[in-house]
Parts: sequence; C-alpha cells; structure tokens
Amino acid sequence: MPTVDDIKLYFFHHHHYIDVRENSDVKSTWVVPPGDLYDPVKGHELYKRHLRTIKLADQLNFDGICINEHHNTVYSMTPATSLMGAVIATNTVNTPKVMVAGVPINLTTPNRLAEEYGMLDVMSGGRMEYAFPLGTGMEYWSNSGNVNPTQARAQFRESVDILLKAWQADGPIRYEGDFYNYRFLNPWPKPFQKPYPKLFVVGSGSLETVELAIDYDLGYSIVFIPIPAQIRAFERMREVAEERGKKVDPDDLIIVVICYVADTDEEAIREARPHIETFFSWFHRVPPKFLLPPGYVSTSEFLRRASDPALAHGTEASWDDMVAIGRIACGSPQTVADTITTWCEEAGVGRVNVVLELGDMPEWKTVKNMNMFANEVMPRIRARGKEATVTDTRELVGVD
Amino acid sequence: MAAFTEEHVDVNGIDTAVFTAGEGDPLVFLTGAGTAPGFDGLLPLAEQFKLILPHHSGFGSSADDTSITRIEDYVLHYLDLFDALGLDEVSIVGHSIGATIGAWLAIYDGRRVRRLVLAAPYGLRVPEHPTIDFFSLNDDEIAGYLANDMSVYSHYPNPMTPEFLALLYREGTSFARIGWERNYDLKLHRWLHRLTMPTLLLWGTGDRLIPSDQASVWAELIPDAEVRTVPGAGHLLFNESQEAVSAVADFVGAEVAV
Repeated sequence: MPTVDDIKLYFFHHHHYIDVRENSDVKSTWVVPPGDLYDPVKGHELYKRHLRTIKLADQLNFDGICINEHHNTVYSMTPATSLMGAVIATNTVNTPKVMVAGVPINLTTPNRLAEEYGMLDVMSGGRMEYAFPLGTGMEYWSNSGNVNPTQARAQFRESVDILLKAWQADGPIRYEGDFYNYRFLNPWPKPFQKPYPKLFVVGSGSLETVELAIDYDLGYSIVFIPIPAQIRAFERMREVAEERGKKVDPDDLIIVVICYVADTDEEAIREARPHIETFFSWFHRVPPKFLLPPGYVSTSEFLRRASDPALAHGTEASWDDMVAIGRIACGSPQTVADTITTWCEEAGVGRVNVVLELGDMPEWKTVKNMNMFANEVMPRIRARGKEATVTDTRELVGVD
Repeated sequence: MAAFTEEHVDVNGIDTAVFTAGEGDPLVFLTGAGTAPGFDGLLPLAEQFKLILPHHSGFGSSADDTSITRIEDYVLHYLDLFDALGLDEVSIVGHSIGATIGAWLAIYDGRRVRRLVLAAPYGLRVPEHPTIDFFSLNDDEIAGYLANDMSVYSHYPNPMTPEFLALLYREGTSFARIGWERNYDLKLHRWLHRLTMPTLLLWGTGDRLIPSDQASVWAELIPDAEVRTVPGAGHLLFNESQEAVSAVADFVGAEVAV
C-alpha cells in the first residue's frame, strides 16, 4: 500500500433539479420521469443557485471543482457537461482545477469530444481534468438505439483509443476501427496541457475497466458502491499495474464521499439525514431494469447483483443500508476529517470528490456545510501527521 | 408421445444444442428469443416429421457467441449447422425472431427450403400495426404481452429466483445483440419476393406483441403465401394452442399427401 502524502479535495457538485415529489406515484426519476415535472422557470432559478454554489466553492480553497453528466433525470441538470465545464472554468479564478466527469465517450463521437475537451483546456489555460464514464445503465436507455449496451464496453475502449491518438498525433491521421472510421482525424484545438490533461476512467470495479485504465495510463475514479468492493477494485488495479510493469500512484485514484459537517456528530446526522434519504429515495429512484440494460454487465455479474438485497433494492435502502452502501461521512469536523483520512489511507487513494450539497438540501445548509468543511475539515486533513493544531478559523464566506 | 433427445454439435467452435424427436422428413424449428416457456408443446409434430430444434447461440443450452450481432449471422450459423447435420432440404418453421432468421435463410438459400412457416414473425416494419418494443416493457408487463394464457408460465419459479432472472438476462442480452437498435429490419420487405416456396403466415389473433394485422402485409410481399390465424392465442401461440401446432402439421405435411 503506497503512503498517501497528499490528499486532494475536490468539490463535487451534482446539479440536482430540486423539486421533490416524495410521495407521488412517479415510478422512476431516471429515463422516464414525467416531463411535466420540469418547470423551466424553476430550472432557471436552480442554475443560478448552482452557479452561486460553484462561486462559493471557488473561494473556499478546494483543489478542484468537479461536475458530472446524466440524462433524462431530475438527478442532474447537466446533460451537457462540456457546456457547464465552460461556465465553471470562466466563473472561477482561485480553484486550480476543474474536472469534467464527464461525457460517456461512446455516447458521443470521440473526435467531437477531443475537440470540445481540447477547446475547454485551451480556453481555461490548462486547468481542466477529465474523467470518462462508461455511463450508468440508465444512459443506455435514454440514448437507446444509438449505442447497443451489449457493445458498450468495446465501443468505450475504442473511443478512448481514438481520443488519445487524436490528441497525441500530429494529424491528420487515419483510424479504421470496429465502431468508427476516420479518414482525417485532426481535432482543432488540441489541449493546452501536454500531452493532454490528467485523465481518469470512472468505474464500478469491473476488471475490464481496471485493465482499460492501466492499458492507457489513466487514473481511476470509483463510483458509489460498497466500500469493500471499492477497496478490492483499487487492489486489483495495483495488481494489474504491477503485472504490466506499471505503477499506480495515490494521485491516480479517486473516491467519492457524501459529507455533512456540524459542531457535533448528532447535529450533523440530524441535519443531513433527511436529505441523504431523499437523495436515495427520490434522486436515485430507479427500477432494476434501468440499472442493468441487457448486456451492460455479464450474466455472472447480473446474478451477483440480483442475489445481493442491498444492491437489488438500492432505492428502498434503510439508513443503515445507505451508510453500508458507500462512503457517507456525517459528523463533527474531527469525525469527518478522521473518517476521510482513514478511508484514503485504507484504500491508498490521494483524491476525494466531496459531495456537500445533498439531495434536496436548502441552500443555507449547503452554504453552512461548505464553510464548515473548508474551514474545519480541510485544515485537519491537510495538517494530519504534521502535529499541527488547527487554528484556521477563517471568516465564513457567504454567497455573493 | 416421443420426447426430445438433446445432442451437442460443434458449429465452427460454438457448442450448439440440438433437440430432436421423431422420424421422417426434416422439420427445423427456429425458436423465438426465449427458451424459458419450453417447447414440449411441439412434440406432436414428431409423429409425422423428424423435428429438429436447435437453441440459438446465447440461448438455452447453446453456448454464447458474442460475434453474432445481426440476424444474418444466425442465418450463416444455421447454414453451417445444416451442413454439419447433413441436412440438404428441409422445411422450416420459425417463430418470432426464429421466423426472421428462417425468412432470411430462405431469401439467401431458397432451394434448400421446401416449405416455410412464419409464425408471429418479427422484423417487418408495419407503421399502421407496429410491433411493440419488447425492451421498453416493464418487467411486470412482459408476461402479459407474450401470452394470454398465463398457465404457460406455471413451471416458472414463484417468486422468481436470482438464477432464473439471470437466465432471462442472458437471453435478453443475446436478443439485444441483434435487436437493441430497432425492432424492424429496414431491408426485409425489399427481398421477401424471393420466398417462392409455399409459405404459411401463422398468427394468434390475440398477439399483443406483434399484431396479427401484420399478416396481410407479409402475405402481399411473398408470392406463394397463405395466412392462417389461431383465435385468441397470444405471441406464444405454440405454448397456448394445440391448434397452432396442428396448423403446422397440416401445412408442412400437405405436400407429402399430394
């Protein structure tokens, strides 16, 4: 296990469409949410709120700001993550990095993504980082017909191959693949950072994705799955790397932590719990069918998931199930700092994407939570092992 | 009544399960996109014919073949299988996607097909009477779209076990390899005129998945086609109705009697 010298803390924002109809007969808030749930006036207000949140994060000394993309869902108001990446890159000045995580590369065309991401990196003066998700199962229903889920992984791999070749080669180059055929692959502009920005794949622990990351020297960002499965995935990643004479650095690995900080553990759980429950019960209301379109996983992996009640009924999870499913850190600054530090050291991970706006949380709680995290937790994590006492009690930063 | 005998044939490296029963002229049955309902209802055909029922690659007892991504791949796979079994001339009864495979096989290699039965065939684009998109159905709706007589599921585990769900998931995956993009074939109507052998369109009038109103469109495109419907039967017509099985025997056996 490598020593984790430095933990980078990224503010990870989901851009939920916050209008919860908890008791409604909506069967799924993904793929098929009733269209009349969406009110563009409310949407406009929420985009403004989310931008306030991003600008606040920019004043709070995070190492980066991270966003992601989903489709047909109240979970995310960002189906076009390159657009939002441009907004964030031009509306922030203090935060070193902006991570777009990201367009499922096989759901667009890889040359188009090479162009968009290259453009963003040049516009931002080299502040971008990118993560490539395979896309949740739901993405394949929402884009159904365009990408066959039984081919998704092969097409994803070829897409990564094309994008990296396009960025590195002095074009034009020819590419003759199984899914794409380019006569003149030649994206303009190419990235500001050379040979290209720091890249990750987003995975849920499957060997195929781990191997893809090692083959192409990409980092690995794990999704919200049970912690032992996360640790197994990272161990597998280090093993595969070693077999191939490569090395995985803690800076190549990302965990996602849902986090709420208050003066005491009790207060934190009391304030956060209803919103975390809503995160699962409303924002993640998905029937099993949508999670696993045919061929998205192997039959043996399907059987494993169908046999695990916590995974088969994720949307009806109890509080204990939720805490068991993934990394939820709610508590006093010391509790949260210790929890995150321990998790990083256990998993050999040097990066944490911290989710601080949870479910249908009102804005005041988001602001309070972000300030508490930045002023009370970050210094503790950064000072760990250095016997430094935490004396950083900066002023609360408000909303501009 | 005879029972099926299971044998396994290596078809170009793919382990293919072939179920046979009876003696006589070969009648190849190409199944729909699922083996769970079972095929014992077809056994009366074995009294007249040598009934040969292979499981498609990726279904039932046959091995997976991830390189099969088009209906045409199954057509070529079955031409390989016919060669391996020494079958020269056959009658083909296809059900649902098995009918699409059978139709394309007969389009490419019609001299091999004596008589053709297309039962509730999948794949023709009929905008006035569209095929229901199987993949869009909710899990709890599927049974009712496939059959009207729910007793055809009486052998299913209740509640469904993870293992049974995994079996359905595997077959759904194999179907998605060839059928995810759309549930119609853009070229089928262009070539159906090549089906010059006697052809029967057989349909349950209660088919909720592929409406029996499509039958007349097929019949117009095929030179020597007749239509027969089975009152009330759903998409799984052979599981629901012995009349459907008898209709096959009558049609395929007719030539022998002449």
